[in-house]
Amino acid sequence: MNLSRRDFMKLVGVSVASLALTRCSLPIGVTCYAPLPPSPYPTDSARDRLRTCWLSFGELARRTQESAQQGSSEDTYGAELTADHRAALDELVASGELTASVADLVQEAYNAAVYHVWRSNSLMTCYEPMMVDYAPVSANILVEQSAALDEIAAQGAVDPATLETARAALEHDLAFYAMTDEEVSNLYNRIVTEWQAQGGTTPSFDELDLEITPDAQAAAQFIISLLTGQ
Amino acid sequence: MTAVRPRLQSLIFEVTQACNHTCLHCYNVWQGGGLYPLGQLDTPRTLNLLAKALDETTCSHVTLTGGEPLLRSDLPRILEFLQQRRVRVTVISNGRLLTEPAVASLLERGVGLFELPLLSHQRQVHDELSGAPGAWDAVLAAMANVRLQHGQVVAAFVATRKNIERLGETLKLAFAFGVRGVMFNRFNPGGRGRQRLSELLPTVDQVRDALEVAEKMSVELKLPVSCSIPIQPCLIDISQYPHLGFGFCAAGSERAYYTLDPLGNLRACNHTDLILGNLFEESFTNLIAPERMSAFTCAIPAFCADCDRRLECQGGCKASAQVCYGSLTEEEPFLRNGLLRADQING
Repeated sequence: MNLSRRDFMKLVGVSVASLALTRCSLPIGVTCYAPLPPSPYPTDSARDRLRTCWLSFGELARRTQESAQQGSSEDTYGAELTADHRAALDELVASGELTASVADLVQEAYNAAVYHVWRSNSLMTCYEPMMVDYAPVSANILVEQSAALDEIAAQGAVDPATLETARAALEHDLAFYAMTDEEVSNLYNRIVTEWQAQGGTTPSFDELDLEITPDAQAAAQFIISLLTGQ
Repeated sequence: MTAVRPRLQSLIFEVTQACNHTCLHCYNVWQGGGLYPLGQLDTPRTLNLLAKALDETTCSHVTLTGGEPLLRSDLPRILEFLQQRRVRVTVISNGRLLTEPAVASLLERGVGLFELPLLSHQRQVHDELSGAPGAWDAVLAAMANVRLQHGQVVAAFVATRKNIERLGETLKLAFAFGVRGVMFNRFNPGGRGRQRLSELLPTVDQVRDALEVAEKMSVELKLPVSCSIPIQPCLIDISQYPHLGFGFCAAGSERAYYTLDPLGNLRACNHTDLILGNLFEESFTNLIAPERMSAFTCAIPAFCADCDRRLECQGGCKASAQVCYGSLTEEEPFLRNGLLRADQING
């Protein structure tokens, strides 16, 4: 797989942000007598400040949603976090804990994570109207779409071949909704099996030909160590 | 330390200036009868241009537009390049060439979203506005083809005097064809459309009525509707339409959609014909430096000087003001007409 070190770091950053936002537990290092602080707290060391930045995605998501409700999509808090993160990294570089190139890659990962969180919670705009992954809309909507399509078909204006294609597409989505969880699971298994039977294999991580430089590995390891408190 | 690269939410690339439709409302800057540079680079130079743009910015989304992007024979190669760069891609097309194999080809090459026009529920109106017989049938077929192959479509409704009063039926048609959202873009004069300003520009009352329809149907059909061409709050109280999204000019901000033409000329957006410079000759950072962008970002009509919402609304579309009246600080046509009408009412 041709994955540049920059792309690799972006994936690391986005993955960490996604894990954090799905409440995947990150050890905070607190005891029952020292509960979670209510908000990012003043810290002294650059490492602590970096850690705080990486644990602020929930707050970034909340603020972005609030801004969106007020009609704004400025990313002021994201910009603050990014600047704080960079400043803390620069301290580590100055003290010799990190090389400049590794720090740049860590920053790259953080930038991507901030952007991912902001983008996922921000307003839609003219040329990025909505970035949603494909999934059938709700079954009720599909039924209403089907009724609307029938109504339009009855008017006789739309080309019959186009209507047939539109109906076939709707039926695909409806069929998906008619399946039980077990059937969906079986379908996925069947697709994987068929793909493998055609010569496709699922490589293990070690087998992937990832172009990850030692710097990128060091940067990814640094982020993991930072978040796990090691 | 690496120099900070400008962070862009999206970059627009005008793949080609050629088009197989002659939309009455077309805002393409080279259709304005002026001296805008014409032509396009060959494939290797085009890929170099895109590589430079992506290398010099932090941008994870590119919108390919035109003209009609599918008229460019090396579009698959351009998409493969963007796929390798792991960039999300939206294609703005008129749908004429989006046959089933073409859709499959584009989806395989990573196109995540198709933005297609749906200007009316009536063939005659859509075809007239598109300046192309058969356009309506083609775009509906394209929508069905994309959905059948599990792609995604957003429909663009350009609201003009010729179609605005039947918005409801058009939204229903879009819904029946499974679009994921509708862009309600009130006609924004520029390019060829400038010559038909009075014929096409809807009145404030017409837009207000249309927004009421859009609000109601957005709720009823659970269909997202965004109004991305600015609608000035002094003309219409947009807070009355809580289910609609409203956008204002994003030039100069992270949400800006800087636009690259097929020759590498960079502009602040796709509606303006003011060229910031050529990306082959200068860095992206230099081209969008505040001193160059300030003429654009700071411009505001005199009428708006004392308005509390001037920083948000900015008077509407400055590009349209500049293209139609020669200055970024003029009142753009929708605002000018709205104010004129208000003056008439107030005697």
